[in-house]
Amino acid sequence: MSRGFPARLIAGAALLLAMGNPLAHAADAAMIEAAKKEGRVVWYTTQILNQFARPAAEAFERKYGVKVDVIRADSNEVALRILNESRAGHVLADVFDGTAAVASLKKANLVMQWTPDSAKRLPAGSVDADNYWVGTNLYVLTPGFNTDLVPRGTEPKTYADLLSPKWKGKIVWNTAPSPSAAGGFVGVVLTDMGPEKGMAYLRDLARQNIAGLQVAARQVLDQVIAGEYAIALNIFNNHAVISAAKGAPSAWIPMNPSMAVLSVISVTKDPPHPSAGKLLVDFLVSEEGQKIYRDADYMPMDPAVAAKDPSLRPDGEKFRAITFTPEQIEANMPAWAGVYQQLFR
Amino acid sequence: MPADVAIKEERKATTATSSRRLLAGGDRRWWSVGVGLVLCALVLPPLIFLIEGAVTVEGAGGVTRFTLERFGQIVGQRGFSASAMNSTIFSVGSAVLALLLGGGVAWLVERTNTPLKSLAYFTTIISMGTPYVLYVSAWLLLLAKSGPINTWWRQFSGSSDVLINVYGQFGMILIEGLLWSPLVFLLLGATLRNFNPELEEAARMSGASAGATIRRITLRLSAPSILALAMLVFIRALEAFEVPALVGLPGRVHVLTTDIYDTMHLTMPPDLGAASSLSVLLLGVVAILLYFYGKLTRNAERFATITGKNFKPNQLDLGRWRYLGGAVLALNFILLLVLPLIILVWASLLPFYTTFSWAAYGRITADNYRHVFESSRYISLMGNTFVIALVTATAVMLLASLTGWLSVRKAPGAAMLDRLATTPLVFPGIVLGVGVMQLFLSLPIGVYGTIWIIVWAFVINYLPYGVRYSFAGMLQIHRELEEAAAVSGASQATSFRRVVMPLLSPSLIAGWLFIFLVSTRVLSLPVLLSGPSSQTMAVAMFDLWGNGQGPELAALGLLWSLGMTCIALTFHFVARRSGAGIHAQG
Repeated sequence: MSRGFPARLIAGAALLLAMGNPLAHAADAAMIEAAKKEGRVVWYTTQILNQFARPAAEAFERKYGVKVDVIRADSNEVALRILNESRAGHVLADVFDGTAAVASLKKANLVMQWTPDSAKRLPAGSVDADNYWVGTNLYVLTPGFNTDLVPRGTEPKTYADLLSPKWKGKIVWNTAPSPSAAGGFVGVVLTDMGPEKGMAYLRDLARQNIAGLQVAARQVLDQVIAGEYAIALNIFNNHAVISAAKGAPSAWIPMNPSMAVLSVISVTKDPPHPSAGKLLVDFLVSEEGQKIYRDADYMPMDPAVAAKDPSLRPDGEKFRAITFTPEQIEANMPAWAGVYQQLFR
Repeated sequence: MPADVAIKEERKATTATSSRRLLAGGDRRWWSVGVGLVLCALVLPPLIFLIEGAVTVEGAGGVTRFTLERFGQIVGQRGFSASAMNSTIFSVGSAVLALLLGGGVAWLVERTNTPLKSLAYFTTIISMGTPYVLYVSAWLLLLAKSGPINTWWRQFSGSSDVLINVYGQFGMILIEGLLWSPLVFLLLGATLRNFNPELEEAARMSGASAGATIRRITLRLSAPSILALAMLVFIRALEAFEVPALVGLPGRVHVLTTDIYDTMHLTMPPDLGAASSLSVLLLGVVAILLYFYGKLTRNAERFATITGKNFKPNQLDLGRWRYLGGAVLALNFILLLVLPLIILVWASLLPFYTTFSWAAYGRITADNYRHVFESSRYISLMGNTFVIALVTATAVMLLASLTGWLSVRKAPGAAMLDRLATTPLVFPGIVLGVGVMQLFLSLPIGVYGTIWIIVWAFVINYLPYGVRYSFAGMLQIHRELEEAAAVSGASQATSFRRVVMPLLSPSLIAGWLFIFLVSTRVLSLPVLLSGPSSQTMAVAMFDLWGNGQGPELAALGLLWSLGMTCIALTFHFVARRSGAGIHAQG
């Protein structure tokens, strides 16, 4: 696991700025021409439609005049759809994104090895070494809490604090074997503390009677905001900020270490619209595309495009995170989910 | 004596056997073959996919091999017996509650002189048009630890504990039972409305008390319908995922479906084999249930209550008790409609959801409604959703009326037809979705990604419900009417069209309305099958829900339900004027 990733990210950014960013240039004319001829592009996305996918598609259509067909589904369904389409002999998707789908699709030889020019200015670690994917944005997962039930300053600040008897029965998490759920939390603890100490910690945590939900991470936070529980163990930290801006009693905890997950984007192996597919990826990774991520309250990969709230991003010093790639998530999740099954259910 | 009446009915049935020959021949067989082929085309592909998924695994190098180990895995899973027990308790509990509530209301409305009957129809129609995810969240909001009921209890009692802990078996049964009770009311209502009262009158005249009449005549004659319904709710509760996941899991009540979900999602992409294996096990359970059910309804004539004689359904005078009946209907109205509505209206006016409080009162805003009206996207979604629902409901009821007719009249292959049409009950949404998707991906026609693939999946999904409606109605129509038509020279087609369809129409219309409404609100299939230009309202609602936009979901859901209610009410009044349909008494 690449620890200290954000620090490297910042170093990379500094380097690029010093070089005057010579590598970032627009998609080449031939590709644009070919994409316009193809006329459309099919994008299977895990991003929320009205928050991100639709504005991004509209911006792309305006710029290149190529129609984007967006289909939104969760990571699992995206992978399932593409696998089934390939079994039936015609993959319909040109482009897909998500946190883990690419790992299994790569194994099935369904992903194109290609990196857009615009990705060259991104920091190391945000592009796959084998060129299967490019990171578009970073998710940071931390605990969150209800500020009405837990006045600021009294929230648990360390992993040890979570074991205090006063939180017994007041903590909730999502039980799915996903990075944004119990599986991811177990992964961070085991990676950071090591197998032995990590398991001992998790055994203690299990005595806190943590309530499990099989819903999205966002809904776990909603339950905390509604007052059903005081603390959520693993939420997207930008969600807490988005809700707090509306006046909700929500806040996040910069737990050390937390987890960072790359949301990555890829072109399928033999897409029906190869040039349009590449152009879309190039666009989303370009500075223009990255600004759309920023405007939707996401954390862009592009060091030149700062997140709206920079404190959300681990700085590697006061706020550390362990970053997992799609491959690491795919390889370790069964074991982590197994630990959850063994200790918590 | 009731026994005498039954004997009389039996005799009628035996005299009918001679004329049955008139009907049994030639063209009926072709009807069966035709309907059978259509059903096979619908049901078999996902079924084959299901069984194949359950008994094969993909080994190294993409080679699939036969195995039964998945079944072993399911049964050997940690806590399997506890989960199986929980599933059984949950399913039985939900079925009993839905039958008691829905059945009780149906009886009060159709067969007694209880006041406030129109309330029951009103409640049912609106609740049928309300999206499922909206309903479950409304009850959860009401009963939650931080919900109004528990909050008021804490203020009132000074206790820091909760009055109702919804997270557990009790809450699961309560919510699932409430969800199904409108369906029971509609289905059982159709049966009771067409009830030939002469048997009950005979019982009363022979000195039986009102209670004894209900017990020994009404309930017995309705038994096949009641059993069919109980089975329906039982199976669906066994397969239910949302309520156990949202209500049971926080209280650590695991059921089979939530276990399967865990197993299935251990790998990426999800291992459908696990879901398929559970469905195949379920298929076994359902086959056994169907076998007994078949035995029960073998002598369908005994239950026929619409005969060639004229009758007017009569109503039991409850005397002073009718006010209690009225109170039950009012309570039903409050539980199913008023309370969820209040909490949803409240939620729809907030920037983020919190329970009732003065502080939250100050945050009230109409922003959520404005967002909904400003978004042009919802218009095209509405169009898609309507077309899908209209075509689905019409296709299902056409098929269902033919299937019900052929199978109740014991046409050649009747048992097979019934079984085929009931099979889709065992498909969990995701398995059916993937099966249909694979079918159309391998066909050289461009259906994948259009709304027609959703219609196809919906027709399969709702066929069993349609058949239950037509079956329940068909059981009551005595053969002698068709025999009279046949003797008068009518062909099978004419007899079906002019005699059976009109008599069956209350059940068919009720079924059509039900399927129309539920197919506008179901989620699991469109999520998997919708393409870029075939998104539905339910998918949009799911996005809002998953995105923490609960208040906007409440606003959209309420507006949508309002629209659906208008449609349902229009339909209701048109049907009433044409003398058919799900009209309220009087």
